[in-house]
Amino acid sequence: MAFARIWHMLGGGRRRRPTSAQVFRQAQRLRDDGRFEDAAELVADALIREPDSVVGHLLAGSLHMTLRETGQARTSFERVLALEPTQPRALLGLARIALEDGETVACRDLLSRALARYPDFPEARALLDVARGLSVAPEPKRPATPAATAVPAPAPTPIAAPAAAPAARAVPTATTRPEPATAAKELPPAERLRLPSESREALFMRPDATLVFAEPRGPRTEAVAARAVKLARIATAVLARAGFGPLRHAVIEGAAETTYLRTDDAALLTLAFDRDVTAATAISHLERVWGTYRSELA
Amino acid sequence: MSAAAVATARPALGRDIRALLGELMKLDHITGGLVVAPDGLVIAADLPREVEAEPLSALAATLGRELELRGPQLRRGTFPMAQFASVSGSAFLGSTPVGFILLLGEPQADNDTVRGALRAAVGTVYRAWAR
Repeated sequence: MAFARIWHMLGGGRRRRPTSAQVFRQAQRLRDDGRFEDAAELVADALIREPDSVVGHLLAGSLHMTLRETGQARTSFERVLALEPTQPRALLGLARIALEDGETVACRDLLSRALARYPDFPEARALLDVARGLSVAPEPKRPATPAATAVPAPAPTPIAAPAAAPAARAVPTATTRPEPATAAKELPPAERLRLPSESREALFMRPDATLVFAEPRGPRTEAVAARAVKLARIATAVLARAGFGPLRHAVIEGAAETTYLRTDDAALLTLAFDRDVTAATAISHLERVWGTYRSELA
Repeated sequence: MSAAAVATARPALGRDIRALLGELMKLDHITGGLVVAPDGLVIAADLPREVEAEPLSALAATLGRELELRGPQLRRGTFPMAQFASVSGSAFLGSTPVGFILLLGEPQADNDTVRGALRAAVGTVYRAWAR
């Protein structure tokens, strides 16, 4: 008993403070359990004690990404690279952020650096394939060029369209402001551009994001078209990695509306509908509008 | 398994993301699935042997983030579900606070059923994480 008291007085009975490595392991366990905020708090505390920990900053970056705190994630990954310039996970993390921000060249550079050091890095290779595809696309500001390629007949796809198409409305020409004059001649006649009355937004573009038609059209329309093309390319990469063919249809449910997408090698159409429009109705409209536009462009 | 079965699952299921993926894998003509964190790290995966998890998860997370950031039409982090279809199969993607759920389906899969089940699963995760 006396020995135990002396041992306690000397500090032997005091719980040792966990090492940073132990804290990071605990944070990783919390992360795996989905307790992201708790994990981030632990990591932040440990990094105060060990500010040059590559593992700690990597974990912090990963947690920030999970919490959708992109700016803080970028800072963490940059800190890792300052400590270890070829750290592959930090390079990948920064490349992902660059891709999100539309900085395709920076994304490619970061991934190339990672692959130069670690050639067997499948995640980096997959993202680089996507980034390369995006980088060859001209800027969406380019004026439309005449459609010179023949258009193949749409292939049957898993999202089958009902046979009958519901009523459509003619597009008001006042809101159909075509791109430069060179593009105007190739636009389908306004009376043939029949959009469903339920449609909130329609975009028709080429694979290089050149806008052919938009209804309604606003200052951000071209940016939205470019994002749609980017989305289609990433989706095609996902499908390819899953062993499937290229993207043909998409249904994207949002908070207030659902966007339906139809595409092939030569064009991309999106129609947005309120959530209360049924999928069958929306897909029926999509197929009819797609057929009309494609025949106009052929 | 029906969409209703996922919808009525106990909230605890939303915390156990692997179990939730297991339930979704029981849907007819679903051949694979994974759950990936927004940074691209795999949380859980049940994929056909010929499909590599890491590159697919990296791309799925990229696609999910692109959808979250898509624009004024979609508020950040609020796209619940999307389907991307080719002639040979579909990828279904759901967004949750934990990350993204990806399901791979054969062309014969009932798209409405799968979308409904995934939508319900996403809701289950949100409810569990809100506690």
